[in-house]
Amino acid sequence: MDKNNNIFQKIQQLDRRYIYIILAVAIILPLIFPYNSKTYTTKPAENIYRMIDSFAPVFPEGATEEEKDAIAMAHDKAVMLAFWHDASTMSELFPMELSIIRHCFERRIKFFTFTIFATSAPIIDMAINEVKKSDPEKYGNKKSGEDYVNFGYKVSSLLLPIIFGMGEDISDAMDIDAEGRKVSSLPIMTNIKNYNDMNLVIDFSASSAGTYWIYYARPRFGVNVAVGVTAVMAADTYPQLQTGQFIGMLAGMKGAAEYEKLVDVFASTQREFSSEILRNEAEPIISGDTNLPYPFRQARIGMNAQSIAHILIIVFILIGNVGFFVQKHLQKNDN
Amino acid sequence: MYEIFSNWVAAFFTLCVFSFLYKDNPFYKFAEYLFVGVTAGYAIPLTYNMAFIPYVYQPIVLQHRWELLVPAAMGFLYVFTLSRKWNWLSRYPIAFGMGSVGMSVPLAMHAGVLVQMRGAMIPIQDINTFLVFIGTITILLYFYFSKAHTGLYGKVVRVGIWFMMVGFGASFGYTVMARISLLIGRIQFLIADVLGIIK
Repeated sequence: MDKNNNIFQKIQQLDRRYIYIILAVAIILPLIFPYNSKTYTTKPAENIYRMIDSFAPVFPEGATEEEKDAIAMAHDKAVMLAFWHDASTMSELFPMELSIIRHCFERRIKFFTFTIFATSAPIIDMAINEVKKSDPEKYGNKKSGEDYVNFGYKVSSLLLPIIFGMGEDISDAMDIDAEGRKVSSLPIMTNIKNYNDMNLVIDFSASSAGTYWIYYARPRFGVNVAVGVTAVMAADTYPQLQTGQFIGMLAGMKGAAEYEKLVDVFASTQREFSSEILRNEAEPIISGDTNLPYPFRQARIGMNAQSIAHILIIVFILIGNVGFFVQKHLQKNDN
Repeated sequence: MYEIFSNWVAAFFTLCVFSFLYKDNPFYKFAEYLFVGVTAGYAIPLTYNMAFIPYVYQPIVLQHRWELLVPAAMGFLYVFTLSRKWNWLSRYPIAFGMGSVGMSVPLAMHAGVLVQMRGAMIPIQDINTFLVFIGTITILLYFYFSKAHTGLYGKVVRVGIWFMMVGFGASFGYTVMARISLLIGRIQFLIADVLGIIK
């Protein structure tokens, strides 16, 4: 066989742009024609879900909506969501943020948001509004200052005073929210003072920024820390997960898909978490006959395309390697 | 109307950036430069409103908390980085900032080293803890450079290399997933938000 003119040689010399086109088609088709695939949840995602869920207020049997509102307002537990990323990593982190906000809304859990990235400030508004807009009947009545509060953009040089300050008094440390209101005057701050009450911080970032919380807040104040990271950062985050410094982790689009499923299966149906249900119950439908708004299933649909892209990449790697070894063998024979 | 317009602007710049996959071109360059400019332009007034006004102007000018003039003046010295003659003044706030590193050392030592070491010193109960034990020991030996990696020692450190290769492979696999996710995110935006093909 001519070593310069065989199929493997041609494949190795293939213009990379053909690969781009094949990959693009492999990704676009499952996004336009989504299919129902299974999403397996992992312990790190389940741990975050269960901890957030444990913060939910308990309502007496037969309580009216007004009574539930009053109980939720007086409840002394809250979650902090730190949006430490910009638009470039939204495709992985934004679906996580939507799912967790949705979880909090479903279970009437108070949550706070803030960022140290100027370009992340509008992403916080986008995330909250996207959840409210996607299902206005359920979440349209959620109010800033009562159900949640966005502390907005804080300059990064104030990060350490803020982290330490929240150990004493969150209202003092944050001072004003994104709308310029005095934090201490907001109804949501009823019975919320410091990390004893806001005992979970979830940091969304495309870096190791979550370690700030385990360096500065966890040893001193005992706050629980979880992270939502881009897939690139996941491997670096596992050591802290193994030692329990992070109580949970959502890794990339896969982590977001897992959380979407957990919210669908449990929070939206007001059920307690159960591994039995996850094992035995049919997978929530994400395409075809479903009323679930697209933003609440976008990570799972994205994972359809992701799976096909991975298979394609594996095939490319195999073909490339076979070609390489065949060429090497032919060259050896020629010599 | 506003949302439709903003979506089409975003779609145009997404395609400008994607055009780089074909080859470098003026559309890609335009999008790249515009992004840098818009980011800086957005950050400056936001920082002015969210930092200068609440932490400098309001407390000093309106509430007369004069003691804050000291950190404000210290921060102002950063401006001198722009002057060749006076840029030595900007080193003072930097030096002050470096002082905070001292505070970080014991805390970082605790969370980054001691707790992680404790996590590695657990009884061998199953295959996972056994692998952690072997991996930690052999990789640490690999990074001991006062002995040549030959003979039996060389074989042991080779096991450490395998563990590291598995780690790099996992890291690379996650990186591929992340890059594909970025593409998926953009395509979802184009077909769902812009074209409305999927609801």
